[in-house]
Amino acid sequence: MFPAQYENLQIMSHAVIGFPSLEENEKAIAGLADAGVNLIELQVPFSDPVADGHTLVNACYEALKHGGSVQATLDLAERVCARHPEVTFVLMSYLNPLFRYGLERLFEKAAAVGIKGMIIPDWPVEEIEPWLPKLDELGLSPILMVTPNTAPERVARITSASRGMIYVVSRMGVTGHETNWGEKFQNYIGEIRKHTNLPLAVGFGVRTTDDLNALSGKAEVAAFCSQYIEWQRDEGSDVAASKMKSIVQNIVAS
Amino acid sequence: MIRSDNGFFGEFGGRFVPEILLPALTELEDLFFGLRDDPAFWQEYLTLTQEFSGRPTPLTPLRRISKQLGGAQIWLKREDLNHSGAHKINNVLGQGLLVQRMGKKRVIAETGAGQHGLATAIMAARLGLDATIYMGAEDIERQYSNVFWMRQLGSKVVGVTTGAQTLKEALDEALRDWAASVENTHYVLGTACGPAPFPELVSYFQSVISDEIKVQSMKQMGSLPDEVVACVGGGSNAMGAFAAFLEDPEVTLVGIEAGGLSLKDGEHSIRLSQNTGETGIAQGYKTLFLQNNDGQLGDTHSIAAGLDYVGVSPILAHLSQQGRVVPDSATDTEVTEAFSLLMKTEGIIPALESAHALAGGFKRAQQMTPEQNLVINLSGRGDKDIFTVARAFPQAEWAGFLQREAERSSEIMQQKGVL
Repeated sequence: MFPAQYENLQIMSHAVIGFPSLEENEKAIAGLADAGVNLIELQVPFSDPVADGHTLVNACYEALKHGGSVQATLDLAERVCARHPEVTFVLMSYLNPLFRYGLERLFEKAAAVGIKGMIIPDWPVEEIEPWLPKLDELGLSPILMVTPNTAPERVARITSASRGMIYVVSRMGVTGHETNWGEKFQNYIGEIRKHTNLPLAVGFGVRTTDDLNALSGKAEVAAFCSQYIEWQRDEGSDVAASKMKSIVQNIVAS
Repeated sequence: MIRSDNGFFGEFGGRFVPEILLPALTELEDLFFGLRDDPAFWQEYLTLTQEFSGRPTPLTPLRRISKQLGGAQIWLKREDLNHSGAHKINNVLGQGLLVQRMGKKRVIAETGAGQHGLATAIMAARLGLDATIYMGAEDIERQYSNVFWMRQLGSKVVGVTTGAQTLKEALDEALRDWAASVENTHYVLGTACGPAPFPELVSYFQSVISDEIKVQSMKQMGSLPDEVVACVGGGSNAMGAFAAFLEDPEVTLVGIEAGGLSLKDGEHSIRLSQNTGETGIAQGYKTLFLQNNDGQLGDTHSIAAGLDYVGVSPILAHLSQQGRVVPDSATDTEVTEAFSLLMKTEGIIPALESAHALAGGFKRAQQMTPEQNLVINLSGRGDKDIFTVARAFPQAEWAGFLQREAERSSEIMQQKGVL
């Protein structure tokens, strides 16, 4: 399940469905589970991922050539949710593939195969609110994003529509670049906490053990995604999993 | 007057963007809503377009072609005579006024044919702003002369190498830049697409085109035109040519899309006709997109880089669904024929984008009577298309010239030690 408020930092990592291949996804997810990663995003590849940096853009492009799709994601989710009950799986997608599939049908399927949450960067809170009764009934948590330039009254609206966790975008920009975790970031986290008791998942720029140490005690979840996908791309899923294992052990020890 | 319902036009439009972009869009919308009904602001805009771009552009009768085709009297709205060579400058000058009011010092833009990029580079130079233009690597090859001038004007041109490397990818990349730079950067979106308020805002500035057509046709024809025809890429020149006539049901409004090579997937850019575009949500807005069953945006083709786009203005999608705008298309071959006919018969060199409107308009005019009037919006001039047109009408002399020019160019590079 999602962590409780103020629980020790844990890692959320990532799979782009179809990257590098559908078969490799299952092996990579098993590797992440074995490494002790308890939260995994399953990203539906999209042709136009506007919130992602080049690592994930290119991974999406490759994934689409290797059979990645909404249906492939649901099929894979069904298998990995059953095989790794200790892991909480979150569906990550841009809106259009889900919209084309049919939102209601998608939500029902996702919940039925065991997906617990959803991150949809281009689905604004106004559009999500009417779906909340349905999502609550299904036990499917919309994890909404707050960004450094979100106005306080909007933070309130987003946090009250969010379930499970709040996704805190650490800085301006897209995924895959460095972030500075100084005082400004801490104030930002503090402001969000005023509006919610949900745990905070921090993403964008979490790339090293130093980043994780900086986040320890400040957030409940660190989204360690682009860097992991780069390892997977350059060194294969096995090496990527063993690197994740040492990262996870490192934060457990600290 | 075009008014959205909270950013929507029927079921299309809206603002489906990553949260990070929301404050800038709201800021822009508040500013725009505060100005758009202010006659003094509109006058400021008109004065600027007059002083800098030579507006109003003329309405030119095509006497010889009309006679040759034997149908309606055909008139051209001469947006090609704008500074920069296309209607794109209208919107850019308008957004320049907004940038000055917001106090932002940097602008970014996406561009397909390069006309919007060029217009943005011109505006940035004139106002002393930093400009970065995103352009698909494929489009850079097709429209290099515009890239050359953008760089000479002081803009940074970034080639986008993801996906099909055309306008869609350039727009994605501009949105990514904006997510990082939104606090000091304005995104000069070039067409009547994207998240609210852009479709409405771009149409507002471009509506100067149809305001002028209306006045000019009363004076020159003694009545409103029977039909107005425009090409449709994203839809900004079409919205500009149609806006003032939306409440005049006797004026038929026709949008011509790029029929490309064939109706096969990936060989055209027709989104408004039956069985082509389907409702989707991407690039910040809801409209008819060319896409597959999984919701992945499709590949497009057109001989004209400026029409090679998967989405279409949500306002046009709505007007087309309502039956107010009639969608039609022209193939690459029909376009080069119309291009040639206008050049040889009337002495005007059209942009390949605008030649789609010519092809569609000429066809329709033939079905009409000599007492009727048809206006074609000539959205841009064809100088930028010299390389593409040279390929469509191959000449040994041109190939030889390019070879000699390449040699001269590399000699100069070596002398100056640039290589």
